[in-house]
Amino acid sequence: MSDLDRQIEQLKRCEPLKESEVKALCLKAMEILVEESNVQRVDAPVTICGDIHGQFYDMKELFKVGGDCPKTNYLFLGDFVDRGFYSVETFLLLLALKVRYPDRITLIRGNHESRQITQVYGFYDECLRKYGSANVWRYCTDIFDYLSLSALIENKIFSVHGGLSPAISTLDQIRTIDRKQEVPHDGAMCDLLWSDPEDIVDGWGLSPRGAGFLFGGSVVTSFNHSNNVDYICRAHQLVMEGYKWMFNDQIVTVWSAPNYCYRCGNVAAILELDENLNKQFRVFDAAPQESRGTPAKKPAPDYFL
Amino acid sequence: MEVVVDENELKSVGAQPLTDGRHGLRIHGWEIETRKRSILNSSTLQQWEQKLGTSHLPEMIFGESALILKHLNSGTSINFNAFDALAGWKQEGLPPVEVPAAAKWKFRSKPFQQVILDYDYTFTTPYCGSEPIKINAEDEIEAISKATGSLQWDDCEEHIDMAALAVKEPILFYDEIILYEDELADNGISLLTVKVRVMPSCWFLLLRFWLRVDGVLMRLRDTRMYCGFEDKKCPSILRESCWREATFKALAAKGYPFGASSYSDPSIISQRLPIVMHKTQKLVIPNNL
Repeated sequence: MSDLDRQIEQLKRCEPLKESEVKALCLKAMEILVEESNVQRVDAPVTICGDIHGQFYDMKELFKVGGDCPKTNYLFLGDFVDRGFYSVETFLLLLALKVRYPDRITLIRGNHESRQITQVYGFYDECLRKYGSANVWRYCTDIFDYLSLSALIENKIFSVHGGLSPAISTLDQIRTIDRKQEVPHDGAMCDLLWSDPEDIVDGWGLSPRGAGFLFGGSVVTSFNHSNNVDYICRAHQLVMEGYKWMFNDQIVTVWSAPNYCYRCGNVAAILELDENLNKQFRVFDAAPQESRGTPAKKPAPDYFL
Repeated sequence: MEVVVDENELKSVGAQPLTDGRHGLRIHGWEIETRKRSILNSSTLQQWEQKLGTSHLPEMIFGESALILKHLNSGTSINFNAFDALAGWKQEGLPPVEVPAAAKWKFRSKPFQQVILDYDYTFTTPYCGSEPIKINAEDEIEAISKATGSLQWDDCEEHIDMAALAVKEPILFYDEIILYEDELADNGISLLTVKVRVMPSCWFLLLRFWLRVDGVLMRLRDTRMYCGFEDKKCPSILRESCWREATFKALAAKGYPFGASSYSDPSIISQRLPIVMHKTQKLVIPNNL
């Protein structure tokens, strides 16, 4: 058994790698990812997965439902880390699979694959706690910069973490972005990772936060038409039912973190496409309590004031 | 700090657990119950949007979760639920808060036909509990309180005795319920929770709205309620509301750290936030309602 296979087995048991192993793995991953396009080509059949957010044991449920990699070809739409308890093991397992089977798993970048966001929402603290230094966080966030921004399945299904951008009307415009950087606060790359579809606007909407675009049905219609794609598949927003179509089936949100944050009670979904691009959503629940190392549901009494 | 209380111990202080799978207890004429459910599904969410007259609600609404406190003899009932809290948000209708990136966005080239949304995405609410009139419904939460404020709360000088509450009496019942939560699209957090603890001598609860817009501001709106069991003939409840608010800039000027990661737990930093509103009220439970 090669070192890499051994590492994959170890990670599947939710045991993190040594710091030196993480460094070496990231170096190898970088060589593969740097070659990928901003619009990475993906062949069908493929199974599309949305946000995972460090919920390692729930990702294991995902693999139970969807099948193991490399037998199943996977596309993950980002947000591997933050919020859950096992961002380190989750991301490293996906990365190790990427290095081992580069043509059988595609990882694209979510808005949480960022230095700034991971310092607020858990991944940074988790690395410090598990390794005693920020080195592993640094290796991983350096790799984040190399992750592709989107994928195109059989030239027919456009996949991205967040959504569209008013600065982008063609796929070629995405291809020209220099992605090897921290996710910027504005511009096309930011929009692809952050924006949301919105029912109540038809064209473009600006979030009340003053930053962040919302896009309506007509924006999706014209994007799909000019790029000759059937629909857009994205993640980024929690959906109680695991997936949600909008704008007459022109865009679908896929969410793959069941019982999000260990308390929402939502189901998760993955989208299986066969070689003819026939769709099947597979809906699944969170891993049972006894199979995971998370704290029990019952809160400990607390003398709050 | 795990406090394990068994049934015998409950009995010895005159309390008994609720039956029929309900979570809570009866003590000194009070029935205290918590319900914890999943977030609303898409179709219920849509119904709520219609009822509340909005197309934007928090991404996680625990719409069927609640804390319910019933005084059995008088029929007085106080509960805490997400729907009424969001009705309060809708009514207060604060202007939106711009995130730091907004400054840069002002210089972006605007797409043709841009709509600027202007609802209060922080879901700030003045909510301090619901008081449904009892219509003999089995389930008050279903008959959602159209008539909040039916009870007579009077301003008072008394305060909840925090020193007494700091005494480690055994906790007979404890729970913490999230009513709604929103991650502000990773710009911070908006969280409405209610915690309750019941001791042999009293019950005490804390309803907390906690908002952190990263790099911009923090807002904490606490409502505490206390009810002692000593006066059985004429029980009363003290309600203390305390609202605090500060900008990150103001905190940094005082020498506190600027990074959002320093402000994940509101109970640790609440003292740093200046008080913007404080009031104490008392409710004498009516004898025969």
